[in-house]
Amino acid sequence: MVDDQKKALRFYTEALGFVKKRDIPMGEHSWLTVVSPEEQDGTELVLEPMGFEPARVFQQALYEAGIPLTAFRVDDVQKEYDRLKGVGVIFKMPPTQMGPTTLAVLDDTCGNYIQIFQV
Amino acid sequence: MTYYEQQVRNIRAKVYPRQELSRQIVQAKEYMDRHFADRLDLDGISKRAMISKYHFLRLFKGHYGMTPHQYLTEVRLQEAKRLLGIGMPVAEVCVAVGFDSISSFKGLFKRYWAKTTSGCKKSNFRDGPGPKSSIV
Repeated sequence: MVDDQKKALRFYTEALGFVKKRDIPMGEHSWLTVVSPEEQDGTELVLEPMGFEPARVFQQALYEAGIPLTAFRVDDVQKEYDRLKGVGVIFKMPPTQMGPTTLAVLDDTCGNYIQIFQV
Repeated sequence: MTYYEQQVRNIRAKVYPRQELSRQIVQAKEYMDRHFADRLDLDGISKRAMISKYHFLRLFKGHYGMTPHQYLTEVRLQEAKRLLGIGMPVAEVCVAVGFDSISSFKGLFKRYWAKTTSGCKKSNFRDGPGPKSSIV
């Protein structure tokens, strides 16, 4: 759920490193998806436009609690943290070890927190 | 501190109270990730982690939900899938990922990926399905 698809596309491709897969016009918005550069025929992430009021309430509640909307697995959280900080990404939680996993939480600038983790 | 961050800290304190031990287990797992093709055994890995063998076994299972042997086998089978996908012959893959016996390699591979080694060469399997069962 993103508040601005164009802004979201810039963030998810230019900062996070996803690749645009589909951009199909759907009136006011579009069916906009991105994929991992390593698996371009794999799972697609929909940058869903915010257009349903209860969803906005849900998104705001998650955001205020600092709860990530979703999580992406990476090979090295500390390396991604350093790289993303270098391009101006804001982190809500720095790399934090929790048993076998390391987590960090970033702000996607579109109304969501996103968790990156390694196992 | 956000509610989420507080929850992460609470869970960590409850489930993984000894961070140094967790780090040792993670390091042992990373060692297996790097050296899966070598001859590894529980004695050697637990010694490297400086934890007694059975304590290490319990801790590893508590962290990753499987034994070190099961984990090592999974890592080897994941790499085997990749190597077969780029066209390496089955016998070479077997050795390259650290298995001694080609017949047990083939059996494990089939049980894990629900596909034979010859059925997943090159383009047949590159973007194929995930594992079908855990390793017993």
